[in-house]
Amino acid sequence: MWRTAIVSVLLLLCGYSAAAWLTRDFQVWTDEGARRHDVALHPVPAPAVAVQGPGVTAATLPALLAEGGDVHIVDFFYTRCLTVCRTLGGSFQQLQAALQADAAAGQPSGVRLVSISVDGAHDDPAALTAYAGGLHAQPALWQFVRVPDAAQQQALLRRLGVVVVPDGRGDFEHNAALLVFDRHGRMVRVFDLAEQQLALNYARHLARQPAPEGLS
Amino acid sequence: MTVTARHQALAGVVGLALLCLPWVRHALEASMWRHMIVQFPLLMGAGALLAAGLPARARTAVARCNAQGICGLLLVVLVLAVGMVPRVLDLALLRPEVEWAKLAALVAAGAALRLSWRPAGLVLQFFFLGNVLPMMAVVGSLYIESPLRLCNAYLLDDQARLGEWLIGTAAGVAALWLAWVAWVMVRREARAQLGAPSRAPR
Repeated sequence: MWRTAIVSVLLLLCGYSAAAWLTRDFQVWTDEGARRHDVALHPVPAPAVAVQGPGVTAATLPALLAEGGDVHIVDFFYTRCLTVCRTLGGSFQQLQAALQADAAAGQPSGVRLVSISVDGAHDDPAALTAYAGGLHAQPALWQFVRVPDAAQQQALLRRLGVVVVPDGRGDFEHNAALLVFDRHGRMVRVFDLAEQQLALNYARHLARQPAPEGLS
Repeated sequence: MTVTARHQALAGVVGLALLCLPWVRHALEASMWRHMIVQFPLLMGAGALLAAGLPARARTAVARCNAQGICGLLLVVLVLAVGMVPRVLDLALLRPEVEWAKLAALVAAGAALRLSWRPAGLVLQFFFLGNVLPMMAVVGSLYIESPLRLCNAYLLDDQARLGEWLIGTAAGVAALWLAWVAWVMVRREARAQLGAPSRAPR
């Protein structure tokens, strides 16, 4: 009987350790939760993938995110999307309006928006231009890019923890979120779509921090 | 080892090998409900068949640490409790080491269930099912109710269907067990009456 007791205690310890590891000490239950938790603790540098988009001069994503020493709020979308990307587009329009209001009040926030397509094969610069026009995006505040190389696009999505799954009706579902990148081009936070105001305030706060050397 | 035991163990090996084939795994894991409702029990079934192949000495050694099947049933409870955390499903798709750990844990749980079920007796079986089945039903209702996708790799309607299957499975297993218990009781009663016809029934 004592053997049974000892083995039971060992099993309980193993089960507890497995559950604690899996849930980051019982803080998260989903992989998306773990992703957000991990990003907040360990910022993820943007991988050096080639990007392309209307009015975009930077050749790679890190270069784009380092432009002007601004903080960036990034989302993933694709132009043929009829569901969640519409919501995202709406969120970004509101964010753009808030940033415009900042600038109009004489206090540019130092925050800019970037939308990255997950459908690089279809979303060429012409498609992106049309899509941006439909959302009344101001190029100075909100840029649209694609990653033309399929392998690089896959690597980017994997690095940033973006999962795209076909929904069986010709559309795609993805863990849509607002990703905040600091001035160094590191992903530092992932916010839910519903936390738009929080994401904006966090980005403004980051942008107000003293600029690092070598950047204005 | 008797002939049927050898056949069972062989079937377990073949079944497990099939379940490990990449295209079988991908087919079962392509949907959330198949991942948990089909793949999990199949792996446990393979484990249960494999357990038949244990030599008598190993069986005795296991039984020595498994009085009344307590350790085995505890293992099953723990594996199922951890296995129903949504993150497991996502991680199993993304990280091979998690996938293999999941597989090994479920096979071990299946073997443990088989080796522990009889020694446990009705009371402990009731206690075991009384923990596992409500847990399944609660997790199932959470999967149904959640407005958010809990797994990045799966869709919302798939998640709701998994929830319905979990609740249905829990109810089904409970009904089966109760029916089986009723049958055992009736048989016991009949035997008692046959064996001691002079005694008044209790």
